[in-house]
Amino acid sequence: MSTARSIAVGDELSPVTAESNLTTSVMYAGASGDMNPLHYDPSFAAQVSPTGGVIAHGMYSMGLASRMLTAFAGGPDRVVEIDIRFTRPWPLGTTSTFSGKVTAIADGVAKVALEGTNASGERILRGTGQIRV
Amino acid sequence: MALNRDKVGSTYPSYTYEVSREKIREYATALSETDPRYFSDGDDCVAPPTFAACFTVTKGGAAVFADDELGAHPAVVHGSQRYTYGDRPLRPGDVLTCTPRIADISARGANEFLTIEVVCEDAEGHHLVTSEAVIVLLGSAPSTTDSEVGAAQEVSS
Repeated sequence: MSTARSIAVGDELSPVTAESNLTTSVMYAGASGDMNPLHYDPSFAAQVSPTGGVIAHGMYSMGLASRMLTAFAGGPDRVVEIDIRFTRPWPLGTTSTFSGKVTAIADGVAKVALEGTNASGERILRGTGQIRV
Repeated sequence: MALNRDKVGSTYPSYTYEVSREKIREYATALSETDPRYFSDGDDCVAPPTFAACFTVTKGGAAVFADDELGAHPAVVHGSQRYTYGDRPLRPGDVLTCTPRIADISARGANEFLTIEVVCEDAEGHHLVTSEAVIVLLGSAPSTTDSEVGAAQEVSS
């Protein structure tokens, strides 16, 4: 997994598409320890959610963007930094797609622009990854 | 109630977190990861990069939010998150010492932005990961002259 390979500015990452649903949300809550009921309890979400409904953990979406970045990098030992801004809620029962593109390479580190978009093409997150090359 | 700006720079008591093989597996499964090292029984087992969420987001924020002098309220969303890694991934058996600090407090429109940094080192004092979370506190800014209520729609937890 840590075999060196050539990475060039403009390279695009293999995208990741995923649906968020009650199962993915409960699994992420248990795995991460973030038990905020906003992510699995419809009656709670109805009172506090920006959408009025249950939404995925921001960290679940970041985790999927990180999965894509890490696969491109060749493993977690090559990931230097991930910086993500959550720009829009991801309602359960909908699909989002994560993509990325290499924007710069300097001093053995590639910068990768990351984004996640919902089925309507609206951005749910954006950010930057830095990987050793 | 607005956040107490004098709290910027405050450090909170360190807590420990022990990385375990089963927790790495559980976390990797939740993200449908396929790298066999995340599921390995051997010495090559490592954690995915955002595994750090397990001990930085909720645990890191707990001590900060419990500080009565800060004046935080629970109407929050996760605005942004940055992880900066050391020279190797986390692996089973790592015993981390995690130290939370308030790195910044700012306001934009009606909302306040609380930046919580958590520095995590192994037992030998080597830096393994730093978390920097920006938590948006909805509607608590001291002045709302250029109110951006709509900004709350742009961030999610």
